[in-house]
Amino acid sequence: MIRYALVKNRSPVHAVKSVLEKMLSQKLVDAILAAARNPYSLLPMPTLFCDPGKMEGIDPLAPVAPFNAARQAAAVTKQPTGKRIALVLRPCEQRALIELVKLKQCSLENVILIGVECLGRLENQAYIQHASEVSDFTSVFYKNPDMQAEVTRACGVCEQFTPAGVDLTISLLGAPEGGVGITAETETGDTLITQLELAVADEPESRAAAVGKLLQGRIAARDALFKATVEKINHIEKFQELIATCLSCHSCRISCPVCYCKECVFITDIFAHPPETLLRRAMKRGAVKLPTDTTMFHLTRLAHMSHACVGCGHCSSVCPSNIPVADIFRTVAAQTQALFDYQPGRDISEPIPYLVFEEELSESSV
Amino acid sequence: MTAFEPKIIALVCNWCAYTAADLAGTSRLSYPAHIRMIRMMCTGMIDSKYILKAFLDGADGVFVGGCHPGDCHYIDGNLKAKKRILGTGKILEQFGFEPERLRLRWIGASEGPEFQQNMTDFVTAIKTLGPGQTNNRMVL
Repeated sequence: MIRYALVKNRSPVHAVKSVLEKMLSQKLVDAILAAARNPYSLLPMPTLFCDPGKMEGIDPLAPVAPFNAARQAAAVTKQPTGKRIALVLRPCEQRALIELVKLKQCSLENVILIGVECLGRLENQAYIQHASEVSDFTSVFYKNPDMQAEVTRACGVCEQFTPAGVDLTISLLGAPEGGVGITAETETGDTLITQLELAVADEPESRAAAVGKLLQGRIAARDALFKATVEKINHIEKFQELIATCLSCHSCRISCPVCYCKECVFITDIFAHPPETLLRRAMKRGAVKLPTDTTMFHLTRLAHMSHACVGCGHCSSVCPSNIPVADIFRTVAAQTQALFDYQPGRDISEPIPYLVFEEELSESSV
Repeated sequence: MTAFEPKIIALVCNWCAYTAADLAGTSRLSYPAHIRMIRMMCTGMIDSKYILKAFLDGADGVFVGGCHPGDCHYIDGNLKAKKRILGTGKILEQFGFEPERLRLRWIGASEGPEFQQNMTDFVTAIKTLGPGQTNNRMVL
């Protein structure tokens, strides 16, 4: 049973802020990790709060994310601290966090998950531009459908904009002007709503319709993207054309929340070829492009991680060569995830396909 | 035009398929010379990048030979290989590599004739498919 509570304030931003401040001041949690602006940056960064008086810049609804905060969430939960921590995350960040828990990078013990219903994020520069022009750009964004169309390509095809499997959801779709809904799916969430003395209400009737409409549009956009991307990668020649300008900077790997290896094989000596190797390759084929192994890098990353791709799109956002890494990943991941009937972040008890083996598997299907 | 002579990489497990190859040799069972065999300690240590590297460097086919389920020297390495090869095949397929170019078979240590048969069958299958898409192409 989902419980819906309505919080009204001057704006959705203030409503969310009031709830989070109350959580800290009533000592329901010891710390809150949420996106917040600081005096030095317009761009909200994940910030760990312990003092409710310091939460001036908190804005988890801001339509921007400099990176997927699952890494930062894992950083504060990787060892037990005995403290109760609330993590305010976007759905893609929360799904990535679930994958990191499965990979034993962190634990959700003593953690309260608060998911934010997300309409998408803008690219950093676009956000900074808007945010420097208007005060409270976040509220403007949620009122303006034109603005919402400016979200990144990955967000425009994201069909998992509503958090699932969290304690509390900050829900915006269908919420009345100046308010946000807080819904609880778990017992912990339910208790929190009671402790915070939030006004429990019926879910607004407009909500289901708003969610359905957005979902429909996103699925159509996603399928169109898959179709277009398949055409660009279905031959190695075409794929190489797509990634021809790859600098081998590995930003996509660094920004990937589920690419968790501390020492990626691509930064080891295995790929730090001595000059003889490069010359041998050049002699064999007549010419060799440097840096080498860029096709190898992308294919290997797909083979290693695409089953866990949450589709956050940060790989595309950070690429200095504007390679549509996220388009490739989402398209390929749709197939690998379907192969194992696996959906990253869906269920914490669902094992990673490569970590379970069944005896009856025969070789014949390969 | 000269006939197509495929380049095939066979990644074989030390405890079964490689021993089977050895047995085929001592039994004077011949198989096509297109196979370049690489001995692994277990098929479970075959990372997807070994297979990708072979294909990107111009292999026309990759064969993986492991122990029958239940016979793995390291308990479940062959089952790990099975999952990983399934996933790698799915990736390759989407980039235009025919799934038939990657084959996994279980070959026990005493199965010399089966080893010969498998190699002959795979070479025939690859010859039918024709040259792979990376053949003589510059791969970046």
